[in-house]
Formats: sequence, C-alpha cells, structure tokens
Amino acid sequence: MTALPAFFAPYQDAINRALERVVPGEPASTNGGAPAVIDAMRYTLLAPSKRVRAVLVMLAADICGNDNRALPAACAVEAVHAASLMLDDLPSMDDAPLRRGRPSAHRQFGEAIAILAAFGLLNNAFGHLSREYDAVLATRLVTLLADAVGLDGLVAGQAEDVLATESMLSFETLERIHRRKTGVLFSASATAGALTAGGSERDIAVLTAYAKNLGLAFQVVDDLLDVTGSSEETGKVTRQDARKTTFVSFSGVEGARALAEELCRTACAALEPFGRRGAHLRELADFVASRRL
Amino acid sequence: MSPLPDPRVDELREQLKALGYLDARVDRFVLGGGAKRGRGAALAAAASARLGALAGVLLGPAAAIGLRARVPGLVASGTDAIVLAAYLAIFFGLATMLVSGAAILVGAAIARRSAASPGFPRRARQVAAAAGLLVGLACLVYLSLWWRTATGAGSGSLAWTIAIVLIAVTISLLLGHGVMVTVLAFLARSGLARSLEPGLPLSSWRTTAPLAALSFAGAVALLVTAPGTRLEPAPATLTVVPTNQRVVVVGIDGIDVPTLDRLRRAGRLPQLDRLLAQGVGSLASDPDRDPARVWTTLATGQPPERHGVRSLEARRVAGLEGRLQPGASGWSAITAATDLLRLTRPTIASGETRLIPAFWEVAARAGLRTAVVHWWATWPAPDDSGIVISDRALLRLERGGPQDGEIAPASLYQALQAGWSDRRTRAASEGAAAIAAELPGDLSAAMRRSAELDATLIDLAADPLLGTPDLLVLYLPGLDIAQHALFESQSAGALSPSAAADRLAALEQYYVFLDQSLARFVDAGDPPARRSPGEGGPARRSPGEGGRSVILVTQPGRVEHAGAGMIALSGAVAATANVSASATAVAPTILHALGVPVARDLASGPVLELFTGAFVDAHPLREVASFGARRSYARTGSGAPLDREMIERMRSLGYLR
Repeated sequence: MTALPAFFAPYQDAINRALERVVPGEPASTNGGAPAVIDAMRYTLLAPSKRVRAVLVMLAADICGNDNRALPAACAVEAVHAASLMLDDLPSMDDAPLRRGRPSAHRQFGEAIAILAAFGLLNNAFGHLSREYDAVLATRLVTLLADAVGLDGLVAGQAEDVLATESMLSFETLERIHRRKTGVLFSASATAGALTAGGSERDIAVLTAYAKNLGLAFQVVDDLLDVTGSSEETGKVTRQDARKTTFVSFSGVEGARALAEELCRTACAALEPFGRRGAHLRELADFVASRRL
Repeated sequence: MSPLPDPRVDELREQLKALGYLDARVDRFVLGGGAKRGRGAALAAAASARLGALAGVLLGPAAAIGLRARVPGLVASGTDAIVLAAYLAIFFGLATMLVSGAAILVGAAIARRSAASPGFPRRARQVAAAAGLLVGLACLVYLSLWWRTATGAGSGSLAWTIAIVLIAVTISLLLGHGVMVTVLAFLARSGLARSLEPGLPLSSWRTTAPLAALSFAGAVALLVTAPGTRLEPAPATLTVVPTNQRVVVVGIDGIDVPTLDRLRRAGRLPQLDRLLAQGVGSLASDPDRDPARVWTTLATGQPPERHGVRSLEARRVAGLEGRLQPGASGWSAITAATDLLRLTRPTIASGETRLIPAFWEVAARAGLRTAVVHWWATWPAPDDSGIVISDRALLRLERGGPQDGEIAPASLYQALQAGWSDRRTRAASEGAAAIAAELPGDLSAAMRRSAELDATLIDLAADPLLGTPDLLVLYLPGLDIAQHALFESQSAGALSPSAAADRLAALEQYYVFLDQSLARFVDAGDPPARRSPGEGGPARRSPGEGGRSVILVTQPGRVEHAGAGMIALSGAVAATANVSASATAVAPTILHALGVPVARDLASGPVLELFTGAFVDAHPLREVASFGARRSYARTGSGAPLDREMIERMRSLGYLR
C-alpha cells in the first residue's frame, strides 16, 4: 500500500469536518423516509476516503495564493463524486457490492434509497455552493459542476459506459468515457479551486492541463488495480472490469503503468509556471502514479 | 537490460497526444499566448506571432545557408552568417505570421459559418486540417524549391538531400499543425467549444506517418522535376603543357578604334602599332559599359550572369561584411529605399562577389607564376593566386598602415611601400610631361592625374619585385578616365570648335603618352630575372628560353557607345589575322597561349586564328570540364577597410555619380 503524502492529513481532516455540515445528521424537518436518505447520503459521503478530488480543490486554491475560501467548493466536489459512486454501483449499472471497504449504498439501504440519496447529495452540493459564495462566484462554480455532471460529464460518460459493456471499444471511445466519468471532475476540481482563489485564466489553463493528465492517470491506475490489486487493498471488488475494455486491454499491464507514469510526469511538467509552489500538486501526481489503493 | 519499447504503447502515446494529453509542446507553445483574456482574434494574433517566431527560428538559418551558397561574397565571416540568419529569421517570421494569421482567420471564419449545422464538428475539423495542410504545403514547396536553387540541378549529395527533405517535412508538419491547432482553439474561444469534438485531426501516427511519407515523396518529386539553377561543378586538375611563352596581358580601357587607327596611320603610336600588327580580333562589346562588369567578363570568360559582378556599385547590408550585388534593374528602387533606411549602403564591387576564377587565378592554380596589377574586382587579393596588386592597392600604398587584403603576398606590400614616394614622383613627372595641350585647369589636372595613374601602374608592373612571371597582367584605366573627363564631364556639354579641338588634341597626346609608356613591354628583351616574393607553392614550368607574347586587350570605355573592343596577340606565336570574337574568348585565348587547358563550360573557346599554324599544331586545344567556382576567401588583413575612400576615389574619377 502506498502512503498518502503527509500534507494530505490536515486537508482531509478539514474536509471531513466540513462535510459533516453539508449533510447534517439531524434533518431540518423530519418526515417519512428522509432519515434513511440522510443516513445513506452520510454513509457514502463520510465513508473513509482519500478525498483526492477535494484535496485537489484545496491545492489548486493554495497554488493560486489563497485556500481560505476553497473548503465549500471542495465539499461540493466530494458530494458530487459520492453521488456518482452511488449511482455507478447500482444493480442497473456496475452492480458493485463493495465501496470504500464497505457494502455499497444500495446493498446497505436498498436501491431506491440509494438513488434518492445520490440525488440528495447532488442537490446539497449545488445548494452548498450557492449558500457559501457570492452570487457571481457561486454561479460560476455551479455552472462548472453542472457541466461536469451533465451531458459532457458524468452522466454522458456513465451512459456510454453502460451501453458499451461487453463490446470492444476503440481507444478514443474508452478515453471519452473515462474523460467524462473521471477527468472532467478532476478538471472541475482544479478549476473550482483556482476560481475560489481568484486565479487568472492562465492559472486555470495550467491547472486544467495538470488535472486532465492526472485524471486520466488516475483512471489508468484504477484499471491496473482492478487487474493487479486485491479487494482488501482497493476497498472494492476487483476483476469487475474483466468483461470491459480498459486501458490494460490496449497496452498490457506494463504499458499501462508506463503510460500512467508518463501522464503524471506530464501533469507535473505542466506546473512549471508555478515553480516551487507546485510541490504539493507534484506530490499528489507522484502518489497517483504509484498508488496501490 | 531494459525491455524493448512496446509498439502498442507508442501508438497509444501518440493517440493520447492527439487527444490533448501528455506533452504536446508545439501546441502549448503556439497557444501559450492565447491563454490570456481576450477575443478569438487576440488568440489568432498571439498564435500567429508564435508561429512566426517558430518559423523564423527554423527557416532563418536554413535560408541563410541557401543564400550564402547562391550569393558568394555576402557572407564573409561567422558573424555575417549569424546576422544574415537573424535578418532572414525576422523576414520569415513576419511572413509566416501574416500567412498563418490569414489562414487561421479564414479557416475559422469558414468553419464558423457552419456552426449551426449538425455536421459542424466534422466540418470544423476538416477546415482546420485544410488550413494546416495549406500552410504546411506552402512551406514544404518553398523549402524544396529553396534547396533546389541552393544546390542546383542534381548537384546536392543524396544523403544531404534526404536529410534536408526530412527537415523540410518536419518543419512543414510543425507549422501546419500549429495552424490547425490554432484554428480549433480559435473556434473554442469563439464559444463553439462544446460543439467541437475533442482531440486534433491528423495527429495520430496513423495519419501523420502517411502524411509525412507523402510529403517526403512530393518534396523529392519537386526536387527532381523543378528547374534548378546551374552551379559550378568541381574544378578539374590542370596540367600545363609548356608553350615556352611568357605572356604579358595589357588591358587598356577607353580605346577608341578610329582614333587609334588615325594615330597609327600618322605614325604616332609605334608601340601600339607593333602590338596590333599581327593577330587582331574585334570584340563584341557588352552594351552595358560598366567597367567592373565588362573587365570581369574578359577575365573570367563568362558572362556577368555567371561571374556575378554585374556592376561597379554593390551594396553592403547593414551588419554584414559581405557584399550584395543587386542584379535586375528593378533592384535600383529597392536599394534606393534600403539605402534611405540605412539597411544597405553603397560599396564597390569586389572579388568577394565574383563567382568564377579569373584567368590569372586559373593559371596560378595550374602552377604558373602570375602577377596581376589593378584589374577590376581583384580586391581582396587572395594569398594563393600569385602576385596580386589589387584595385585598392594604390589607395593603400598612398594611405599606408596595415593592409586589408590589398596586396598579395603580404610581404610585397612593405617592399612596394618603401619605394612608393619615388615611384609617385616619377609618375607625377611623367604625367605632367605627357599633356601639353591647352586645357581648362580642372581638365588639365584630370588629364595629369590619369597619366600619373597609368604611369604608376606601368611602373609597378615593370618592377623587378614582381620577378619574371609566366603571366603578367596589367590594367590601365587612365585613357578611359581622361576621355571621360574630356567628353562626358559637365564642361563638355556645349563645346566651341576650338575647345573641342583642344580636347581632341589632349586625348591624342594621351594616346601618344600611353604608347611610349608601353615600350618596355613591347621591347623584345625580358626584364632581368629575379625571384618573386610570391614564389613558392606547387611545381611550375620553367620559363626556359622561350619568347614573350603580348596580348593587348582593349575596351571602348564609358564614352564611346558604339565602339568595339579588341584583342591583339603579338610575338613569335602570333599569326597575322583579323577576326571577330566574343569578349568571353579573351580568357581562354590567354590560357591557351600559356599551355593551360581550357574549360569546356566557358562561354567561348580560345581565338585560335590569332596563333600561328605551327603553334596550334604543336599545342592543340586541350580541355577540361570546368574551372569550378572561385574559392571563397576570408580576409585576413588587419587594416581598416578603405570602402569610403574607394567610393570617393571612384567618384572623383567619374565612375560613380
């Protein structure tokens, strides 16, 4: 198992504490089955996690000079990600029994509650952004996340992934699916962080290039772990993708590892304009390249 | 031992680059300036500027290499090469910037027109690819034709040609790719990003490799089929068959044949009469009377288009030591403009711009001892062509100081300078005695100055310091200068009959002075044999006990527009003949008299009618393929250049206005 970079811990603590406020334990009004939905939301959102996307938001804000205002955006990103995992694990989709080392949400709460909880998390994410930022910045962030979720993002990627299962995909199609399912949210995370810190368009362009390469590397490593890792290590069922086309299908294990490392190196190289300020983001890329969990 | 790279990974890597991952440095460089805020036009402008910078860096040095090959004399040093490359980089950078900018804007405009149609993503990519292909193709065609021009038809080595074509293809693909990327980025900046498909067209190896192969084949086809510029082939080895003749070539500018004949008939030119008594050839004259151009044609046996000295006045490009010789008449307006902008400045044609070796250089290469005095475009004097007292030598001897290639070998300079004062005194006295006609003061001074100049040159040519060369070449400009002063100056506009008669009398006196001065070359006796300071080097023919031939070469000069030149051979090997010949026949005729083979690629062969049958039988014409191009000589002198003084001197003598 590869250890997370040391700087992760304080960020993770801050994010975990803040996430508690995104979905409070006590609902504002209690009626019917809402407590179950809230439990399901908290079950997935607060489950042990690396918080890579949320930390990316914080680091992007930090590199742009100010991470004081980034925490709500990091939480929103994490909520969107958790929602996407719940939907992804559903029986009608990947039908994954495990997530983050625990039974997946639909196994724990039932499919209907899991679906509702996913929608709840999405709505909470957008609501949180609207409440925490001024109108102009909130609008930009909401638009950014909506795009990342929408028809050129998670929804489109998941749809194409579901429809393509058991058929041999072209490399371009596979890249498109992963870009929408993973890469877009990585890019949105970096952009969101930069926006909260008032970063320039040049900063955003640099961070987008970083996140784009990092996102794909993350996915390539995911594919690798599905082949080489164990459930104990990854916290989810492995060999799930045996009937799917993955990066490993195209390049083999060693080739995929080489490409992942190259993508991470490119991500680091993109940070050149930031100089030493990019140290943490480089560490993050190194972690992604070598991660075993 | 590391495993071999997996070709699947290479392929995936290229696909990822095409999809915008990994390090697409060119794209990042081209679009880097466009990341700032601004509209699409700002992105197009910034990207065009970056493409221009890329093209300037890539094409500038390449074009400088080509230009150096095509314009000898332009690049005289490493600094020159760098400055020229910088100029060309700016030029090509600006040109590429404009072309790329236009291609980007036009391509983007065409693509945007179909933004609303369902086929927009495909159409946009097609238009972007077309814009990139167009720019890349234009670049490839240009580079191929440049290489064709630089190396000539079939003269570049195969390995070099393949290497250059590969570089050309790479540069073209880079520029084309840059334009394509920018068009797509322009569309994205214009708010059409969502409609565009991600990734770049024509960017994976599957398309790039065939495209590169096709470009390579096209460039090679262009090289094979496009008409090339002929370049001089490699020089042949020259072997002398001794003719036992030492040859003296006397070039006199400004000879008017009717005047000459009249004075000969009157018995006033006994020496010239002897020189013209045997084989005489009438030379068709170049309608352009520029002396540097005409006398270089005589010296090289090639027309100006081949030998490269097109006019007396050349241009020096700011920052470069070398010279540029504008050829076509249309250049005059351009050079006037560049002079005004101080990008160029006038200078005098020199040996640096001469592409073809002169006959004395060929003779020296063949191992003969040679000495040349004051011929046009002989500066800077090369150190491997015998004795050269260049057309700037007199100015240097007058001014003193360390020389800047005015005289070769360098050791001769000190010796000549030691006797310079006495020589000038003698020449001044001869010049003053030569002209007795009644003339206005300025004309009288001009005549004396001309006579003094010729007397100095004749004295130099006869100096024992020059030893006993197998070939002595002397150019005398005095008659042309005097004639020009008498009949072309401002005061010659409306002459009274008596004034015209005075001037004609003065001119005739000049002919007589010249005739008397030539006596020492016409007399049969050889000057005392001495070892020349320039001696040394390859084995050479012994002068033996053979005779001496004098070849008189004349041109009508700048005044007489309808006259013809002459070549006259006198001596034991000369026949009695009167023929017509081309000006380009002079050099091979002189070389034939010396027993040096003649190049087949000269514009004319020797005038064999001027030689006796016995000589022709004993020395049948021998030929070699080519004398090759003139070597490029780096100036080694440490003295200050005399450019400014030379221009003033040329002005004072009426050569420049």
